[in-house]
Amino acid sequence: MNVYDFTVKTKDGKDKSLADYRGKVLLIVNVASKCGFTPQFAELQELYTTYKDRGFEILGFPSDQFANQSPGTNEEFQQFCKLNYGVTFTIFAKGDVRDETAHPLYKYLVSQIGFQGFDMSHPVAQPLVDALNEDFPEYLKGDGIKWNFSKFLIDRDGNVVARFEPTTLPSAIAADIEKIL
Amino acid sequence: MITVFGFEGCPYCVKTKRYLESRGVEYNYRDIELSAEAAAECQRISGDLTVPVTTIDGVNYVLGFDKKKLDELIASA
Repeated sequence: MNVYDFTVKTKDGKDKSLADYRGKVLLIVNVASKCGFTPQFAELQELYTTYKDRGFEILGFPSDQFANQSPGTNEEFQQFCKLNYGVTFTIFAKGDVRDETAHPLYKYLVSQIGFQGFDMSHPVAQPLVDALNEDFPEYLKGDGIKWNFSKFLIDRDGNVVARFEPTTLPSAIAADIEKIL
Repeated sequence: MITVFGFEGCPYCVKTKRYLESRGVEYNYRDIELSAEAAAECQRISGDLTVPVTTIDGVNYVLGFDKKKLDELIASA
């Protein structure tokens, strides 16, 4: 089994098989429009622009599971990304990325690589842990997605090769992408 | 004067502003989605892509909503 076995929904509600991305390096990110990490869109777009011609794709999955930080419709989310961050990589339909209601793709991703721990030297790591403790203590347990902007790197054969928590900036994973391009 | 960098609808930006207000601290607010200049300034200060960023002089800053660190920043004002 690999990521090509999963089908996701586009913003228009159409099915899209991840097998269509066979042979490409993928970065799968759960995104949000109203999150403190939202400015990471800028660096995600930079990664995309830099590497897309070498067979790199970013797949964004908006989710409302983290303090309702992706409000609005799918169309509004697309517009937000385009207008504010010039995003041209693919943003799929909103959906769940953790717990029982998570998309099967996300259940698979977190089963492949568990929670990596936050980089506690990142200045926002402690406030994030505090906020989770206060509002979503159950999110801190287990391998589920902790917050918006968790990132999974997929190699050209569809294997999950790395997981980065929200506290890792997109620019910090450029070297990992280059290694498998 | 304290400056808060954030954007509309960002919940921890709102919490930071409310907290400063509750402490009676005056601040400037700069929206990084409405101003490219504010976005660049914000990233220069923190070297990161996370908001809110609360700063007193563009050098010392607090990233995220962290009451303890905000208290320290206010005290240093």
